[in-house]
Amino acid sequence: MMTLRDSILATLLAALALSAMPWLLSAFALSLTLTCLMYAGLAVSWAMFCGATNYLSLATAAFFGMGAYVTAWGAEALPYGVAVLLGGLVAAAFAALVGAAVLHLRGAYFAVITFGLGELVRHAITYYEKSYAGTVGRVISAPPEAATIYHTVLLLSALAVVTALAVRASRLGLALRGIGADEERARTLGVNTRRAKVLAFSLSAFFAGALGAAMAMRWTYIDPLSVFNPFIGFQTVLIAMVGGAHTILGPIASAVLFSLLTEFLRLQFPYLFLIMLGFLLILLVLYLPGGLASLFARWRWRKSNA
Amino acid sequence: MREALLSARGVSVRFGGLVAVDEVDLDVHAGELVGVIGPNGAGKTTFFHTLSGVLSPTAGRILVAGEDLTGRAAHVYATHGIARTFQTPRVFKEMSALDNVRFGLEFAGRTRRHAHDAFDEPAAILEFLGLAEVAAVPAGGLTPSRQRLLEIGMALGARPRVLLLDEVAAGLTHAEVDLTAQLIRRVRDELGLAVIWIEHAVRVLMSYVERVAVLHQGRKIADGDPRAVARDPAVIEAYLGDEGEPERRAA
Repeated sequence: MMTLRDSILATLLAALALSAMPWLLSAFALSLTLTCLMYAGLAVSWAMFCGATNYLSLATAAFFGMGAYVTAWGAEALPYGVAVLLGGLVAAAFAALVGAAVLHLRGAYFAVITFGLGELVRHAITYYEKSYAGTVGRVISAPPEAATIYHTVLLLSALAVVTALAVRASRLGLALRGIGADEERARTLGVNTRRAKVLAFSLSAFFAGALGAAMAMRWTYIDPLSVFNPFIGFQTVLIAMVGGAHTILGPIASAVLFSLLTEFLRLQFPYLFLIMLGFLLILLVLYLPGGLASLFARWRWRKSNA
Repeated sequence: MREALLSARGVSVRFGGLVAVDEVDLDVHAGELVGVIGPNGAGKTTFFHTLSGVLSPTAGRILVAGEDLTGRAAHVYATHGIARTFQTPRVFKEMSALDNVRFGLEFAGRTRRHAHDAFDEPAAILEFLGLAEVAAVPAGGLTPSRQRLLEIGMALGARPRVLLLDEVAAGLTHAEVDLTAQLIRRVRDELGLAVIWIEHAVRVLMSYVERVAVLHQGRKIADGDPRAVARDPAVIEAYLGDEGEPERRAA
């Protein structure tokens, strides 16, 4: 078993190796790597809260889009790094506020309300932009270089992994696992479940918001439909679940697999790719409900029993 | 008069038109082992829910060591030293037995440690309960009677001042019940806990507790020495329609 220090060290080494990519890869391959990293960060931060507690949040797109709009609105006035940080903080604050109000709901109710939340924010911003700013979308006039954006997303995703590792090893992580197993039991053993949930939900939203803020620079033109795209939220949930939401390595592996596969299918079968992706998902959910991580566990089990 | 560790004052719980618990008073002091009995549907478990903060009473107050905790969340009760088990064991199935016990120690038990005892270590608690050899086994894989014991361990991990046991003897063999009862007495003596023990099976409980309260249709109809309670006409009456003759069974 790897200790917390080993795991963090491994993450940082991997990030260091990946940071050389802008000088090694073609523009196309770099952009593909960027997508992998973005989804790895989103899926790991989603699983940080949802994987442990079994709460199904569909609010990722909402946090991501809020971060993107912080960049879009502040791009002129704020340095890039500050905009990214602020994007994360705004999403985290929003998650804390909303979490305090709706985190007593469970199951389908929580899923539906978090999805509705994303739609609410999207429509609110659309309305504001049309009525007061007189625009549909926003152009980011002076985006930073591709390598800078890549390094930012890499840093955020690596931070998400390190945070997830630290949370898992902490009392907060234990509390979250207790909440996932039996919330009322956890409460009778002294866990302030509301505080733990709001804290973890908000922490996971920080990464989605910051990643949204960073990625907005990459796209240079954003409108509500593209950054609050429910597809981003669903994709994140699916990646985490297919990878194994109670693990950290699972969602990372699955993010890479999904991003490459999506790209490959899109290029090879531009008209069929969504159908094929959907079909693949059904197969995975049917035959591998524990996620990719369960394959690894099974392999390890077989090895130890050989 | 010493201050009660746990005190219920005129506690009532209504579900719509149904009165599940009806103005129940109960004071429990440190070192007491109190049994609560009653026929099915007498409101025992609902009353327990109010004592542990799982359910807020519709009327009345709950005081822990003199502090009014009525309406507070269950985790506040836990950090004030109220620990409980559930009728059907609610262990964290995926976690190891050791982590189940550690859970209470990390939260409710963290703020309040006893002055003297060997129960600061989850392993010591498992040892005490005779579960040392299954420490690494996921709790869901234990037999039901071991899960029941583990639940007591989880509650002990929370470093309680008051231990609430909800039908811990249900489904156990006679020998296992005896062992569990000895265990409970030992914890009570070693840690000076107050213990409230609910049981549906009257005979079992009567022989182990020093004081017993009887609930019937949500009301407390008797409270005192087990032998005196067993002779109480109101208690005999209450049991006649249910399983009958608590007198003979308790004797």
